[in-house]
Amino acid sequence: MAEHSKSPRYGFLIDASLCIDCRSCMVACSVENKVSMDSTRIWIKETGITGNYPDLKRFTAPYHCMHCKDPSCVSACTVSALTRTDDGIVAYNKDICIGCRYCMYACPFEVPNYEWDERFPLVVKCDMCFSRLEEGQQPACAATCPTNAIRFGRYETMLAEAHRLITEHPDKYVQHVYGETENGGTATLYISPVPFEELGFPEAGTTSPAYSNRLVTEGTPMVAGAMLVGLSGTYLTIKHLKEEAAKERQEAEQTKASHTEEDGK
Amino acid sequence: MTHYITRRSFLKLSAAAAGTLAIGQLLPPMVAQAATDAGLLNAHGDGYIPSMCEMCVWRCGLIAKVKDGRVVKLDGNPDHPHSKGHLCVRGQSGVMNTYDPDRVLDPLIRVGQRGEGKFRIASWDEALDLTANKMLAIKDTYGPEAMVFSSTHNLSQPQFENILYAFGSPNYGTQRSLCFNAMIVANLMTYGMEEPERIYDDQLEYVILTGRNLMEAISTSETSALSDGIARGMKVVYLDPRFTKTAAKATEWLPIKPGTDLAFHLALLNVIVTEDLYNHSFVNDYTVGFEHLAQEIETYTPEWAAPITEISAETIRRIAREFAAAAPHALAHNGWRTSNFINSFHTQRAITILNTLVGNWNVALRASGGESSSALGAPPQPPYPRSSAQRLDGVPSRYPVVPLKLGVFQELRESILSGEPYQAHGWFISRQNPVMSLPDRARTLAAFEKMDFIATVDIIMNDTAWFSDVVLPEASYLERYDPLSPVGDRVFLRQPVIEPQGNAKSALWIYKQLGERLGLGDYFQYEDEEDYIRQQLAPLGVTLEEVRSKGYAELPPADDPGFEWNTPSGKIEIYSETLANVNFPAVPTWQAPPEPPQGQFYLLTGKVAQSTQFGTQNNQLLHKYSDEPRLWINNNIAAERNLADGDWVEVTSEVGQVHIHLQVTPAIRPDCVYLPPGYGHLSKGLTTAFGIGASDSVLHVTYSDPISGSQALSQTFVTVRKA
Repeated sequence: MAEHSKSPRYGFLIDASLCIDCRSCMVACSVENKVSMDSTRIWIKETGITGNYPDLKRFTAPYHCMHCKDPSCVSACTVSALTRTDDGIVAYNKDICIGCRYCMYACPFEVPNYEWDERFPLVVKCDMCFSRLEEGQQPACAATCPTNAIRFGRYETMLAEAHRLITEHPDKYVQHVYGETENGGTATLYISPVPFEELGFPEAGTTSPAYSNRLVTEGTPMVAGAMLVGLSGTYLTIKHLKEEAAKERQEAEQTKASHTEEDGK
Repeated sequence: MTHYITRRSFLKLSAAAAGTLAIGQLLPPMVAQAATDAGLLNAHGDGYIPSMCEMCVWRCGLIAKVKDGRVVKLDGNPDHPHSKGHLCVRGQSGVMNTYDPDRVLDPLIRVGQRGEGKFRIASWDEALDLTANKMLAIKDTYGPEAMVFSSTHNLSQPQFENILYAFGSPNYGTQRSLCFNAMIVANLMTYGMEEPERIYDDQLEYVILTGRNLMEAISTSETSALSDGIARGMKVVYLDPRFTKTAAKATEWLPIKPGTDLAFHLALLNVIVTEDLYNHSFVNDYTVGFEHLAQEIETYTPEWAAPITEISAETIRRIAREFAAAAPHALAHNGWRTSNFINSFHTQRAITILNTLVGNWNVALRASGGESSSALGAPPQPPYPRSSAQRLDGVPSRYPVVPLKLGVFQELRESILSGEPYQAHGWFISRQNPVMSLPDRARTLAAFEKMDFIATVDIIMNDTAWFSDVVLPEASYLERYDPLSPVGDRVFLRQPVIEPQGNAKSALWIYKQLGERLGLGDYFQYEDEEDYIRQQLAPLGVTLEEVRSKGYAELPPADDPGFEWNTPSGKIEIYSETLANVNFPAVPTWQAPPEPPQGQFYLLTGKVAQSTQFGTQNNQLLHKYSDEPRLWINNNIAAERNLADGDWVEVTSEVGQVHIHLQVTPAIRPDCVYLPPGYGHLSKGLTTAFGIGASDSVLHVTYSDPISGSQALSQTFVTVRKA
């Protein structure tokens, strides 16, 4: 368990108060990573337009792989096409992938995408622009974002910055850094002016279902028949854990809210 | 509700375009020779090359990543003040502009009827000879003025102008009257310059955006600056009949009634003058005509403006006070596409005067040299022949204060149709799309029918090329050189990051070849593109090789005009003698715009982040990440009329009709509908864009502001009913 929970080296900090839904990140990512035309590694989560005319609001945020400390997709992948690198990047090896889509079911954030229209479809997901990092560049999305809604850097720096912002601007942000504890903690962190449920973010518990997954998948031999069993096992595990996670998260938010009040800030 | 991209849903490409997934893989690599020679690319054709974007006219600096001789990625150049390391969504899609499978890569000569789309491939010699011969025949028969020339805001435009002025025609159509004549003419009258530079420093406290939708009509560095300002607590008041993505970020959104921005600004002036909130020393020292303004705006109280604008008097008064209190760290933004109503010129003048009264010069606004620099050299050329013919667009006879290089494009089209004061017979068009950009498309196509000959320069088969007799394929912005581009104290280079594909050629090459065939070779005294740029660089003492690797050269510091203005008085002209002399109101004056009749709507236009005018809808990457263009209508109005989201509706103006799906949303005033612009293409040579959306040009009625010549793009009223 320990090696799975190692703190990531890099992290994203995504600020929904700054996103203008321009989709530069989506196109930059698609070009950089040669994403097929029927798929995307990034999409936009949004509140929709809320309120009554003329008192309207709208918030959006780019959404991509959370890069979990203990990734459910990695544990669900029967062929180790998905791995977590020493830097904390949840990486994908297309040469090994058999296209079973377990990862898509396993991910509590509904992240891995698929080349739906391809004859031999592969899974599509963010790898932090690994090749750009090697050349000393920022991931394509963070580099191009015109409003700096997507920032990238050392995980500790991003986490500290997230807390600085929500602490210094309690009127502007909800008092929660999404990703700090979700699914056991992730390298992608979000701050937002509205509760994350309103942006359509999944409710995720504070522990990763990966551990339970491993109970199912690590014992599963790589044969077609057994994979089917694994799939249903994974599905049931996830379903159960998602329900638990929702409950857990609600409790956590209540606790946080009462803490904030107590602090009198 | 709006419709956004989910994990799985995209706008589907048409069958012809689907499948061309790997960008540029269908064509052989065209390794850029000069960049290789300069050591920017290695023996494998890998490397990074600085150049400039052309997905819009903001022209960000870019760094192209080239692999195996193919451009694989574009990033913003941190050294360019317009990009500062970022590129917008259109800039990011630029590889697909170059590798668009619909690129025209050979000269084409029409063989079928106009608009039928039947062309044959020709050699450059044949296509250029034909073009030159047709132009010379028109000149011999009807005079040079019978040739119309039009081109839009691009770096090779000085050489385009060389063709038309040397040819001897006064008839020049730019896009400016369809976009920002009102703003530019107003700035010229007030400040004696086209557009002062806006200063977004850390102290800027207050910004009023009059329809400037910076979060969707993106100018990368300015969009970043506005966003940074909002993040640090700068107040942004945003006027727009729509709840745009800028409205969502603004501190305060005011859904003003269309056409009444002038009343709002006149009322701000009223409060600032009557409550004595203006900067006395600035007004005394640096302006003329304050007393005329004070007299004119006496009756324009917030109470007067409230029923007109549908913004409360308290709100207007509060904003005037807040703006004055924040001054000089307060900015009233001119806007971008400012041609909305026939009173837009006065709106623009009122905005310049609002800035003036609070004395924000050299704090929030300062002099800008524009897009040229006197420090650069140019190839030698003889003077132009004198043209005695009247201009077809009525400049300056009917539009005495409109500069010749701006013109009034829609009136030029009207004169082609009327044949008055004389008949035009030929049209040479470069990087422009009048079929889509001019109001009332049916009339533009009728004007095309009057032409003996039409030639178009473009990189794809845009709608105007589709109706042309000759199509000359230009190299894309990643494949060619252009004249240097001065920005602030630097001059930036556009250079090929790959060689032109197929037989595409740079505009500098095309204009020179055509010029020589027209007997105008003396106006094109450069060997090739590199020689042109070397002649530009000569006075700087910098070589092209030095510029190539950095992407820019330093310019000598420009003179700071401080507190002097190039106006007749040398001061900021609140009262304009120039306007008074030609019997226009010399200070901003209220003019009520027309309103839609009962049951009709204002037809609004306005940009989306993923497209630039009419030229980018065929880009597969932008197409993929765009929302389906649909007609916005207010949800309450839709309910009243029994219209539902997604309904197929018929939209009718007095000049045209289109059909489109409906988008029911609270994000628009009840008296307006909004059509995302740039769609509804006629050209079947655009296999991605064809068949998507509807054209607002079909619906737009032609109205010109009598002072600035701006086409009033929001002064069209439509009915909407279920089809």
